Amino acid sequence: MLNDLLLRLRSLFRRKNVEAELDDELRFHFEQQDAKFIQSGLPPQEAKRRARLEFGGMEQLKEEHRDARGVNFIETVLQDIRYGLRMLRQNPGFTVAAVLAIALGVGINVGIFSVLNGAALRLLPIPRAEQLVSVSQIFHRRTVRNTHGETSMFSYSEYLDYSEHNHVFSGLLAYEPFLEGTLAGIKMQQLLGTATSCNYFEVLNEHPAQGRGFVDSDCAASGENAVVVVSDQLWRDTFGGDPTLVGKKITLNRMAFTVIGVAPPGFTGTEPMPSAFWVPITIQKVLDAGRDRLGDDNMSWLALLGRVRPGVTMEQVRADLGVIAGRIDQLNLGRTTSLAISTATFFGRPEERESLIPVAFVILAAFGLVLLIACANVANLLLARASARQKEIALRLSIGASRWRLVRQLLTESLLLSMLGGALGSLFAFWSFASITQFVTSHLPHMFSTLAVNVAPDFRVLGYALALTLVTGILFGLIPALQSSRLDLNTALKEDGAKSGPGKKSGRFLRNTLVGAQIAVCMILLLAAGLLLRGLYYAQTVDPGFEMKDVAAAFLYPKAQGYDETRATAFMGRLRERLAGLPGVSEIAQAECAPLSHDFSAGYMTVPGRLDKVLIEYNHITPDYFSVVGIPIVRGRDFGPDETEDAPGIIVTESTARRLWPGADPLGKTLRQDTGREYSVIGVAKDAQVSHLGDVNAPYLYFPAGPQDNMRTYVLVRFAGSFTPVDKAIREAVRLLDPDMPVDVVRLEDYLEVWRSPSRIVAALSGALGVLAVLLASIGVYGMVSYNVSRCVREIGIRMALGADRTEVMKLVIEQAMRPVLIGGLAGLAACAAVSHVLSSMLFGLSAHDPLAFISVPLLLLVIALAASYVPARRAMRVDPIVALRYE
Amino acid sequence: MPDPRIDLPQGTLDLLILRTLALEPQHGWAISERIHQVSSQALFVQQGSLYPALHRLERKGWIKARWGASENNRRAKFYELTRLGHKQLEREESAWRKLAAAVAQILETT
Repeated sequence: MLNDLLLRLRSLFRRKNVEAELDDELRFHFEQQDAKFIQSGLPPQEAKRRARLEFGGMEQLKEEHRDARGVNFIETVLQDIRYGLRMLRQNPGFTVAAVLAIALGVGINVGIFSVLNGAALRLLPIPRAEQLVSVSQIFHRRTVRNTHGETSMFSYSEYLDYSEHNHVFSGLLAYEPFLEGTLAGIKMQQLLGTATSCNYFEVLNEHPAQGRGFVDSDCAASGENAVVVVSDQLWRDTFGGDPTLVGKKITLNRMAFTVIGVAPPGFTGTEPMPSAFWVPITIQKVLDAGRDRLGDDNMSWLALLGRVRPGVTMEQVRADLGVIAGRIDQLNLGRTTSLAISTATFFGRPEERESLIPVAFVILAAFGLVLLIACANVANLLLARASARQKEIALRLSIGASRWRLVRQLLTESLLLSMLGGALGSLFAFWSFASITQFVTSHLPHMFSTLAVNVAPDFRVLGYALALTLVTGILFGLIPALQSSRLDLNTALKEDGAKSGPGKKSGRFLRNTLVGAQIAVCMILLLAAGLLLRGLYYAQTVDPGFEMKDVAAAFLYPKAQGYDETRATAFMGRLRERLAGLPGVSEIAQAECAPLSHDFSAGYMTVPGRLDKVLIEYNHITPDYFSVVGIPIVRGRDFGPDETEDAPGIIVTESTARRLWPGADPLGKTLRQDTGREYSVIGVAKDAQVSHLGDVNAPYLYFPAGPQDNMRTYVLVRFAGSFTPVDKAIREAVRLLDPDMPVDVVRLEDYLEVWRSPSRIVAALSGALGVLAVLLASIGVYGMVSYNVSRCVREIGIRMALGADRTEVMKLVIEQAMRPVLIGGLAGLAACAAVSHVLSSMLFGLSAHDPLAFISVPLLLLVIALAASYVPARRAMRVDPIVALRYE
Repeated sequence: MPDPRIDLPQGTLDLLILRTLALEPQHGWAISERIHQVSSQALFVQQGSLYPALHRLERKGWIKARWGASENNRRAKFYELTRLGHKQLEREESAWRKLAAAVAQILETT
């Protein structure tokens, strides 16, 4: 084996020597043979002839010998590369066009992959992150489980069990992500923080830059030890980098916390949304007033991260924790769980994965489509060039090159192209996507704006770029290579390629198919963008069934501030009095959920006499609600001023009434809650899209608000004039009553924005991709037509000589060009119509087969394709028959 | 002139080369001459197959080559059997004998 390798290497690197030796050896043989013939009495001349005859072809022999040496493969690859580079240099126009198309396609794909990689595949940005595993539990039977966050999380007692009884972690930490905190100060601030077990900083190996992290005693007693570690950013932005902050007290959710440390710069926790502060897990019930999650053994609220001991494998971790899970299952009747254990990343919990993976797949597919168009483009260029190179290829075939050898040569060329393009595109992606991501995230709704995504390339991104580049090269290179190496030598050598009409039939078919495919992909992308844009416009213009103009919504949450029902009711009463006195304010109402605020409540109700339960969304409202938001009562009556939830009256919407009591008068009908309480319908309100934009028909009913609804409520204020003074006045009114009470004031219309932004993002994305796709495809159409025209000059000349006029020629050329465009367009149309329903949730009730989008987009594409073929087709019109007939 | 030579069956060239080299180191021409003579002019090895075969055997490590002076004092490449080559020769010889015996037996009985 080693011997073999050495000989091969020797042959490769000392090629000259080896070749010379071979030459010597063969020459020696030849001379010996010659001498032998002379000895046997032949005249010298005849002897030489006989020797040569017996010897056969010296060069063939050498070639066979080279094959035997086994270096030919490497040698020919090098040769192919040199030759390929020469070919690329010879056609700079072609090379630049192809490289740019590939760079564009590969670049955007690598870019989007680096974003997804940063979001969901990278290890957590903390020291020795490869040792960290996240642990989740999956409940198999339907279990009644309280959840705050995701069901796959753990309760505190479960955490303690795993933490104390495992043998595989040097430390296991638990934390509650997304803990909301209101920081009091000159300006009240809503912060996102984390409640953590007290080994948090130790296990993560992130030691506070100032002060200390948590120690065990901080977590010793439930509800005590109000200490906090603040993030570096909070320390800088809010506390102005105060060097004496450690030891001072800050107020979070009305409670004084002692700052014991400042986290190291850049450390933002283990979730994609940065954490501004960390508090001990045991303080939870104080911080989130009125809810004791710590003591609830059946509550999913803690995410678990463990640092694996050195030398312990993932299998051992699974086995060890599995034992504990089994024991917990045994202690809890009817419970079966299994654990999901994986190296810790952002978006690593099962629920997060489940929602992320399809989205990522769709995004990658959409970007992949653009790459596909670019590939088709380059393939088309290669096909066109291949027919120009027919003679060269025929020559090579006829002097004995095998087809496989030629395919290899052509593939080497296309791989060279894709490597150049891929490298260029990847470099561009690495360089630009960090800033692009930043730009995009800063334009997302505010809750995503701080998303920490590291898009810097790592080995995964590089691997993806390389794989994509190779696949691209083979994808666009293989068909042209196979196609052009399958030649009829006789005709190809005799005729000049250019004279044999517009290429061979199969070559033309291939080119047309490629153009058709491009158009189809374009159509899909553009139609998606068109539909979404239509949906956005529709959402802007559609009548939601209620008045959102000139209504402000103020969100208050007295319960979170420690108010009880009595205090909250008193507070709200006084607030409403003050608001009513404000200039310009005409009406005030309260509701549990403001229209379209993404605040939903729903419950099961039974209709007496029917067995099935109906899931109905509901709202608790005060009597003025319907007049503030302008929803008319079409039958029956509105709630009276003193009517509370104790009264059995409810108001349903028209469509709910139709669904539950078809054909009957809904007034006086009853609905029963799970608790057995019965309600009777006192009124019917007109349908309105108060819950989901674009959805009028969902079952919906209204309860009268009671005192408990003051604990968390939206105050809706109808005002005249501009919003700014009203906004200010409402905040001022709240501040005068309780300076520490946070309030969020928006216009009702602002809620629309939140609904629209997902479809706006997707529309922008698919629109941008669509524009790129159209650009590439129109280049493709242009290329195809101008190629066809150049091949048909003679034919056109003859037609003109026989009396065809210019417009007829033009028509012919364009007709030819439009056939693949039309077929591809129809295919794309059909494909999009088949799948467009996946967009329906972002269309706000617009049909997924909206005729306007499905007519205008294809028309637009047709016009572009016509324009792309018109420009080169004009050249055909200007053909001078005399010149054309002499052409070549 | 009718050619008295017969074609070499597939795979026997290696055996013949190894056998020839088992006696003493030889250069390529001598190997082909020797096979020619010893087989009473019945076997003739084409250069076209001889040299690729030699280089293949060299790669397998059964023979090794070195440059030396030929009988008429010309620079020539001499091949000799390695230890591995001797073993291989034994194997191939016994395999060949078995095959030949079997073929002969079949030819005689039918």
